[in-house]
Amino acid sequence: MRFSKSLLLFPVPALALYGTFFVLPAVQGLQYSTTDWDGFSPSFHNVGLDNFREVATADDLFRNALGNNLKFLLAVVIGQTVLALFLAVLLAARSRGSTWLRGLFFLPTILSSVSVAFVWRFVYDPNFGLANRLTGLHESYLGDEKKAIFFVAITQIWFHAGQMMIIYLAGINQIPPELYEAARTDGANRWQQFRHITWPLVAPATTLVVAYTTIQSFKAFDLILGLGGNPPRGALDILSTRIYTTFANNQLGYAAAESVVFMLAIAAVTVAQNRATRLAHR
Amino acid sequence: MSNLSRRTLLFAAAGSALAACAGPGGDADEKTVTGFDGPVEGQLSFAHWRAEDKDVLEQIVASFVQKNPKVTVRQDISPSNDYQSTALQKIRGGSVGDAFTAFRGAQFTQIASVGVFADLSTQSDLVGKFDPKLIAAGTSESKQLGLPYQLVFNMPVTNVDLLAKYGYTDLPKDWDGFLGMLDGLKAKDVTPIAWPGGDAANAGQLLNTMVMNNIPSDDALGKFETGEVKATDEWFVHTLKQYAQLRPYVQSGANGTGSEAAQQLFATQKAALLATGSFMAGAVRKLGAKFPLGLYAPITTTADKAKYEGVFNATFILGINAKSSKQGAALAWLKHLADPAVAGVYANGTSQHVTVKDVEYTNEDLKSFAPWLTRKTLLAPRFQFNNLDVRSAVENATVQVVGGTDPAKAAEAAQRVIDQKR
Amino acid sequence: MRIGRRALLGFYALIVIVPLLVVVGGSVKTTQQLFASPFGLPTHPTLDNYDTVLRQQNLLRVLGNSITVVAVSVPATLILASLTAYAAARLPGWWGHAVFGIFAAGLAVPAQAMMIPQYVQFDRLGLRDSLTGLMLINVVVTLPVAVFILTGFMRTLPRELYEAAELDGAGAWTMFRKVAVPLSYPSLAATSIFLVVMHWNDLLYPLLFIDDPAKRTLPLALLDFQGEYLTDYPLLFTGVVVASVPMVLAYAFLQRHFVAGITAGSIKG
Repeated sequence: MRFSKSLLLFPVPALALYGTFFVLPAVQGLQYSTTDWDGFSPSFHNVGLDNFREVATADDLFRNALGNNLKFLLAVVIGQTVLALFLAVLLAARSRGSTWLRGLFFLPTILSSVSVAFVWRFVYDPNFGLANRLTGLHESYLGDEKKAIFFVAITQIWFHAGQMMIIYLAGINQIPPELYEAARTDGANRWQQFRHITWPLVAPATTLVVAYTTIQSFKAFDLILGLGGNPPRGALDILSTRIYTTFANNQLGYAAAESVVFMLAIAAVTVAQNRATRLAHR
Repeated sequence: MSNLSRRTLLFAAAGSALAACAGPGGDADEKTVTGFDGPVEGQLSFAHWRAEDKDVLEQIVASFVQKNPKVTVRQDISPSNDYQSTALQKIRGGSVGDAFTAFRGAQFTQIASVGVFADLSTQSDLVGKFDPKLIAAGTSESKQLGLPYQLVFNMPVTNVDLLAKYGYTDLPKDWDGFLGMLDGLKAKDVTPIAWPGGDAANAGQLLNTMVMNNIPSDDALGKFETGEVKATDEWFVHTLKQYAQLRPYVQSGANGTGSEAAQQLFATQKAALLATGSFMAGAVRKLGAKFPLGLYAPITTTADKAKYEGVFNATFILGINAKSSKQGAALAWLKHLADPAVAGVYANGTSQHVTVKDVEYTNEDLKSFAPWLTRKTLLAPRFQFNNLDVRSAVENATVQVVGGTDPAKAAEAAQRVIDQKR
Repeated sequence: MRIGRRALLGFYALIVIVPLLVVVGGSVKTTQQLFASPFGLPTHPTLDNYDTVLRQQNLLRVLGNSITVVAVSVPATLILASLTAYAAARLPGWWGHAVFGIFAAGLAVPAQAMMIPQYVQFDRLGLRDSLTGLMLINVVVTLPVAVFILTGFMRTLPRELYEAAELDGAGAWTMFRKVAVPLSYPSLAATSIFLVVMHWNDLLYPLLFIDDPAKRTLPLALLDFQGEYLTDYPLLFTGVVVASVPMVLAYAFLQRHFVAGITAGSIKG
């Protein structure tokens, strides 16, 4: 095999930085997780797997955050995927109006999470906010122990549905129009066309959308801090905010152990989802 | 630059970075510290959490700079809950907080334990300006590490006019009377209590007065952490049940209400009580409230069993950063704040009493709160917690109960967290 | 059917745009006005909030910090990542796969798993409370996604182009500059926009690293705002408008690139 050896030098600068400030800290995270270091003392103890044992068996706060995170994930993945696909189907036909609306629906994606959180704090204010004013309800939204995390999910969907819509639009535009023409000749109604042509053929897009949404849902850190304050209440706590709170509480070793479990949770969910998406499109 | 030398440079950089991450522990860099005799010059960082006081403090900074022209003072302000959880990390870094403040309780203890407070014990001309009874919260192992500056009342603020309009001038002295008053107000379409249940830092203030007459001993809340007291104890479950009785009397969606909205309800006369503390008087005035303010604490027992009428706290503990290179300037700044005339500017400008002696109070709200300086009040029990996870567990239980959770269940869940985290 | 479709789209358009209009309107109202009538047109519009935010709050300084960080970290990431992507696309056999795989693996690692050691590392190097440190960490954490996108594109460039250049005696460096970069222009543009949005909006690392208020970036300054102006939604909204205007303006002019870039970068979340 013949190739210019100088090609090997090209990735060197990136590898040096990546190795030093990304890979090394990631590995060190594992080392920290077996200690009780508080972050500032010169001394610390090796505690072996004690931190992990505690995370797994005796930490209601962590379990609560995990539970909230999974609820949030499920709500966002289902809600956002359905909404994005729905909007994409409605906007698939090219027209001046649809181009304009695509631009509008995508707009929230470019705002910062903190900005979005502030906007929605005002939407959700029980006494003065937009939501109760417009609907005439008397919800307490983020104050509702059981539903609070789902209201954050609504904000997250508002934030990113436009982005996922674009991915679906790309998928839909690749479907040959002849397929629909043939179906119409056979007398298929719109639902049947969707069910038998669009849905199976956007499977690759769904896989992407679900995967992206999952990563975003685990990363909702900024949105939660903006909506729920720092540290957020139990009803709004998710894994990333729990880890940050532990860190701020000067328990670096324990926070590192929580991070390792966090990573495993993401890996597990991603694997499970890949299977589920494949089944749904079968 | 040739490829080779560039690579060498990169490896050299990577090598030094590797050396710097040997692992946890060890923090060798010591800055040179000049001590209190250092010059009064340079830019001083004053870290605190009272954004409401920013303008008044700017005035005080101006008069300080006039006396010491080589100094500038920068206020580094964080929201109170952020300050509670991250101030230590930041102050320890040294770029923030040459002079700083600490909350009484957990935060003071933690900062003291890592040696970030410079010892003020020998600075008698500074310490002597304060009322000795009120600065005990700034001592640790018989050293005066910090000086509490504010004297606040952590009890509900009342709209005196609105209460009088419906015949409540002598406020109830027992629990049944209190519930009766809330019922009467509700019948007149007034929200009896505005309570920021969605804002953890302020939602917990009500706990002070709700437990002041229920606790078996004055230091009971601190004993959650030693296991001597449990959330499932009869007195605490009883307190939670009393919280449950308040459900109909707080504004709708109380658990989702932030401080700003609660203040707005109170300032616009839609609510009669603001269940936080005297420290919100200034903010309420800013929102345009013109009515006279009072203070009132719910009595959770019968009148004869009540030990206390209210709650006070000595907080905003001023300290000097032991790691700071500008301790001379920081000491001068603290001395300036302790000057009775300056402390008066602070007190009257922010509607808060201070712990400095011989201060003249001219602010109307302070005058109407003044009788409470001599009444039977308990030092705020909420700040006895040293562990923030434990404090959150206890306070969250009260929030959850108001939101509809069964008191016994909330108590059990709280105790489980306390057992895991203490 | 058509009417149903229009009604549904119109309804969602309102959901997207109404909160944003309330924010813009709220920024020129007083607190009382906003609480009394959030949807109403401002009766006595005031620019006081903008004065407070820009002058007293020093948001111009903060804006400057954000611009500085993005102006350095985005080009730096692009250069490093395109060099790497070029090698990953051109190196034969497992060499190319190894380079690509090492970076792609980083996509699975959440920031929370590294942030604690990174905090200690940057602290010891004296890079923690500094804009330089922030630039460096931005580059490092977005290298994986940038390499991922660019490698995907550079692999689609036809081999014949390189072979033709090779016959002309061009070395690897010349081919990178004269062939790969010009042809990758669309994906470089998309990637750079994605990076600008990422770096502009990031909160975690500024929150973790920055103590000195003079070194805050926009999202962090906004978060602090919430505490400073507890009682003041109009001021908060003014901050939101100031922080968003640069991005929204850029979006208005470069909409297609934004959509392409952010969608390509979705993998990063």
